Amino acid sequence: MDLLNMSHDHLLLNHVPTIGTVIGIGLLLLSLVRRNDHLKHASLEVFFVVALLTLPAFLTGMAAETEIIHRDGVNPAAIVAHHDAALQAFALMQLTGAVAWVALWLFRRRSKAPAWVIGATLLLSILTLAMMTPAATLGGEIRHPEIRITEDAPPAATGWLTRAAIQLLVQDNRAVWPVAETLHFLGLCLIFGVLSIVNLRLLGVMKAIPFHAVHRLLPWGMLGFGVNLTTGMLFFIAAPMQYTTNTPFYWKVVFLMAAGLNLLYVTVSAQAWALEAGQDTPIFDKAVGASAIVLWIGVIYWGRMLPFLGNAF
Amino acid sequence: MTQFLTALQESAFSTWLRESESVLALPTILTLHTIGLAVLVGPAWVFDLRVLGMARGIPLAPSRTLFRVMWMGLWINVITGVMLFCADAVRKGASVPFLLKMGFVLTGAVTVVLLRRHVYGPDSAPEAVSGTAKVLAVVSIVSWTAAISAGRLLAYVVR
Repeated sequence: MDLLNMSHDHLLLNHVPTIGTVIGIGLLLLSLVRRNDHLKHASLEVFFVVALLTLPAFLTGMAAETEIIHRDGVNPAAIVAHHDAALQAFALMQLTGAVAWVALWLFRRRSKAPAWVIGATLLLSILTLAMMTPAATLGGEIRHPEIRITEDAPPAATGWLTRAAIQLLVQDNRAVWPVAETLHFLGLCLIFGVLSIVNLRLLGVMKAIPFHAVHRLLPWGMLGFGVNLTTGMLFFIAAPMQYTTNTPFYWKVVFLMAAGLNLLYVTVSAQAWALEAGQDTPIFDKAVGASAIVLWIGVIYWGRMLPFLGNAF
Repeated sequence: MTQFLTALQESAFSTWLRESESVLALPTILTLHTIGLAVLVGPAWVFDLRVLGMARGIPLAPSRTLFRVMWMGLWINVITGVMLFCADAVRKGASVPFLLKMGFVLTGAVTVVLLRRHVYGPDSAPEAVSGTAKVLAVVSIVSWTAAISAGRLLAYVVR
């Protein structure tokens, strides 16, 4: 097993979005039937983690594409159809994850998530599943002719959320890339500002601030993350070859995944939430806080090193 | 002036930073500049947001520690920024976007100092936010946004 081989990682991860969404929806429905808040909470956490894992599932797909596109029996049009369906399903999955995160954040603050946010999560997750299933099938058909209904490649997706549309947007407007880079840096500051402060408190710095007060800041960090996920995906889709064979990019995503788990921890942890003003933190929280700061600096480091240690310009 | 900038640019250090293949040269200095930017502007923005009324549950007194974090970021970026300027002094010294960026950075840094004095000064009531502090917070958010935008766009304009 070679985890540094991104095509391999794609095979490892590509069922997670579909199966994970099914599990999340199942848990959420069960929680509604049984009126069980623990189950509801678990389903929201499942959606968040699945959304997180959908990022590398998508990104590694691009690496797999470059590996197989020139092989016999592989129809490039089938790959593009899979890519665009996956991109649209990815976008819905991220929305689901974001709304599930809002629900978890509210759960922590009010010890109950309002019905509207649970309803929105359920609706978005069902839409995601409706998009993810055809995306997965189209992916399977690339290498499994036995499941194809016809010999022809499936028709390409249309609309603004396709590879062709995004590449055209970037090629035709010289301003798009620099503006997106600028937004990416501004988003970085917002993420780092919020999460460094939250994790410094966890580390035991600024003890006079109760944890629930810094917890209030988290949506601002999520806003920064939304900006950076959007602009980052724009870069990736417009010029995938800069990233799929780029070692710093691989590590950037790995660090990002770990930092995402930290975000989940600081959002939901009862132990952190209970930290009152003046209270010192247990060693576990100190380790979590310190590692998160290292991880975010690492994400910036790998991102900035993309053109130097890797091949992005 | 041009003579001075040329001498600066041709110094051994500048030449090393500009031309060395080492990862420790330009890549590391640029990366440190980016990390410093996050360490400075991130907490500055959060403090500005707090002054503007977000997350009111955060008491102001202990938040003073954030200024130490900001100074750390500012110093990292003053040092790495001077280095990066030396490597490309002639062109940067004459570039309008670069001078604009310096103007925004200066405004941002002065605003942070004023904001701290205003919130933690001997005459200010504890945990109180004045109208002036709110204006300073807005100026801080705008000038850091402008400084980062100008800095990022420099990479595309000045080539």
